[in-house]
Amino acid sequence: MLERFLQAVRTDDPGAEAPAATRDRLKACFAPGAVRRMTQLGLLVGGVLRDLAPGPDDTLVYATQFGESRALEGFLESFPTPSPTLFQTSIHPSGVQQGLIGRQQAVPELFPLAGGPQLVAQAVLAALLAPAPRVVLCGGEERGTWLVAPGAASDRAFAFALALTRHREAGTQGRLALEPTADPAGTLALADWFDLLHAHRGYTGHVAPGWRLQLEWS
Amino acid sequence: MAGLVESGSVRLTACDCLTPFGNAAATHAALLRGERALRPTPVLGADGGDAVPLALLPGRALDETLPPAWLPALQALLAPLAGGGWGTARRPVCVTSSNFGIGSLYAFHRHGDAAQAAHGTPHTAVELLRRTLGWGENVAVFSHACVSAHLGLLHASRLVAAGAAESVLVLAYDFLSPFVTGGFHALKILNAELPAPYQDRATGSIGLGDGAGFAVLSPTGGDLVLSAQSLHNEMHHFTANRPDGAGFAAVLAPVVAAAAGRRLWLKGHGTGTLEAGRLESTALARAFPGAPLVSWKGSLGHTLGSCGLVELAVAAAALRTGRTPGTVGSGSPTFTDTVALAPFATPDFAGVVCASNAFGGAHGALLLSHA
Repeated sequence: MLERFLQAVRTDDPGAEAPAATRDRLKACFAPGAVRRMTQLGLLVGGVLRDLAPGPDDTLVYATQFGESRALEGFLESFPTPSPTLFQTSIHPSGVQQGLIGRQQAVPELFPLAGGPQLVAQAVLAALLAPAPRVVLCGGEERGTWLVAPGAASDRAFAFALALTRHREAGTQGRLALEPTADPAGTLALADWFDLLHAHRGYTGHVAPGWRLQLEWS
Repeated sequence: MAGLVESGSVRLTACDCLTPFGNAAATHAALLRGERALRPTPVLGADGGDAVPLALLPGRALDETLPPAWLPALQALLAPLAGGGWGTARRPVCVTSSNFGIGSLYAFHRHGDAAQAAHGTPHTAVELLRRTLGWGENVAVFSHACVSAHLGLLHASRLVAAGAAESVLVLAYDFLSPFVTGGFHALKILNAELPAPYQDRATGSIGLGDGAGFAVLSPTGGDLVLSAQSLHNEMHHFTANRPDGAGFAAVLAPVVAAAAGRRLWLKGHGTGTLEAGRLESTALARAFPGAPLVSWKGSLGHTLGSCGLVELAVAAAALRTGRTPGTVGSGSPTFTDTVALAPFATPDFAGVVCASNAFGGAHGALLLSHA
């Protein structure tokens, strides 16, 4: 069994908040002037990472199914004179890089994952396999506009970050584990994972073929 | 501090690639002959635009087709692994790319065909591939621009080392589209000039190429071993490195330690941009004094998220044959005197350090050596 202990959890559920409102709400989390070109996902992820940001010995795992949907939409719309700014902003894993670059916060290992129904399982697996003493597992989505209908963008915005350690410590808030099983099926969507974290709800179930996830709160 | 070294016994039990020249053996042979796959091509495909150096697979247009042209190309590449039970818990797959099916999303926006959008995201592109190849659902998807392949290799190594998998298939692919070429052209680093990696000249430029590669990692078997892997992320600027080269030095430090003084040659990232080329070649020369340095992107173009695996497959072919292609397309003067412009023999070398860089000051490096 692979396991780590939750030392801190941060979530942000902005509901139907517009990107401009998110920018205004979270601008204090970033250096003056840094938020002007940040995406909603960059703001949300940067916000939850504000006090959980990885240190020089930590591993960072980042999960998003769709990434920078609005930058992607804007870049596509900019043709035939493509925007260089929207191009670089649309590239995975810009959402987590925006805040860290703004803070000039070097990270040794960054594992950005994409994917669908197996995304949570694979991101947790990457976090639990990392040898670093502390792992920060974060992720989220931003709500797209015209790419939502064809299924190429999220219809919901959210962000989360967990600080995970190898050992139980004073103040440990919970436990996260993956156990190998013989079960051939299982999924857990990123939005459902976020809802568990946001509500501090426990979970035990198959999240990928051969893997059962346990999320326990102290 | 750079990412931790994975020392020990993760074996490369199969590895191949696909470039415009063909598989790893054909690509290795073409590079030894000094051939360039890059050709002047309109940057926006059917919509025209400036001619820029692109290396497309033979017969493949820049504009995406329906079904996507990369699908049969990947089927052919992976045919030797068919029926291997991939995608199960004990034989998982790591798919890595920077762009996945983005050419289809561009085509959807350009022409309005909803069928193109059906595989335009990382997940849906990989799902199309998974179903076509008959894999199970245990597929991890990594995307970190041009170091993507290094992440898949490191994660796969950890699965093997932890006993969580008996073998892992790592696939990396990126196929060009107007989305990507238009973006790099807008950044003004993809222009009419052919790339000349590590050459000290007035203007830098890159070329872009189609590419795909795979590796099977296992605890035993094979004649080559991944004896060290390292990552580092500067988080200094989206499209520039720290001017002191600290990011390059950080990712190399654990590999230097693992190399333990063995005689190595170096396969750098070397896209053809000036500042990054200067920083990288200087850092490599400091870390591995006297070791010959090559880049093959002057011929193959930059194959983006797949470059780490495409070039690993060519490096493996070079180790096995004892002949390493030189830095095709470059000339003197070079940033350091360690840049090898011509092919050289490698029977006295213990292995090769392969390095890649990406947006955000991301770095990946690995040491591939004889088992």
